[in-house]
Amino acid sequence: MIAALFYNPLPLSFETQLWLLLPLCLGVAIVYKAVRTHDLRRLPREVGFLMGYMVAGLIVLCVLVWLVVRYWP
Amino acid sequence: MAVEKSEKRSMPLPYAALVLAWLVPGAGHVYVGRLGRGVVIFVTVSALFWAGVGIGGVLTVDYYSERWWFAAEMLTGIHGLVGWYRQKAVYNRLPQMRGASLDEKLKNANLALVAPGETVARAYAGVAGLLNLLCIFDALMLSVMGVTGEQPPPRAPSGAAAAGRARP
Repeated sequence: MIAALFYNPLPLSFETQLWLLLPLCLGVAIVYKAVRTHDLRRLPREVGFLMGYMVAGLIVLCVLVWLVVRYWP
Repeated sequence: MAVEKSEKRSMPLPYAALVLAWLVPGAGHVYVGRLGRGVVIFVTVSALFWAGVGIGGVLTVDYYSERWWFAAEMLTGIHGLVGWYRQKAVYNRLPQMRGASLDEKLKNANLALVAPGETVARAYAGVAGLLNLLCIFDALMLSVMGVTGEQPPPRAPSGAAAAGRARP
């Protein structure tokens, strides 16, 4: 079962694909902050803040692109 | 003199940090005495890479069709090498697979990447490699500067000291 999971691709729908952005952002935030933070005990807090910024940025970008697509003459 | 010698011996070697950080994500940080960071980096980079392979299957790491993604994936070191080995094993089995073209053979064997997952899978595995590049660079710089272990966090200046410093 596990061997098949890493052998055959998963059939993903478009909606599922979008949700997979969140773990990717989390991974980026964790590694970036693990390298940059001065105090490792503050890592979860700093990861949370960075994750929030990234998700907010993606939402703003998403709205901007939607506006361009919707109202571009 | 003896103290100087022992200090010289304990200095991390930049090349060792570079190779270790590439081969096993996070090992460069462990080498310069930052165990906690090394473990966090190893777990995260490994999880991202294998999540990508889990989503996209064995052909996520594909030397033949996606060279740039492949280069990024190889930055994960041992993970990328295992992924490449598995991909090569599939290509070696191609003559035994049924189908006229390469695409048809992979499709018949259920190995062809499924359209929406393809981008996500390669993004996961590739981003894992690029993040490890950041860690490789950090471990290399720490070893070049001779920094070992965790440094104490910078303290905020106290009121009196800050006022004294502000005086002309």
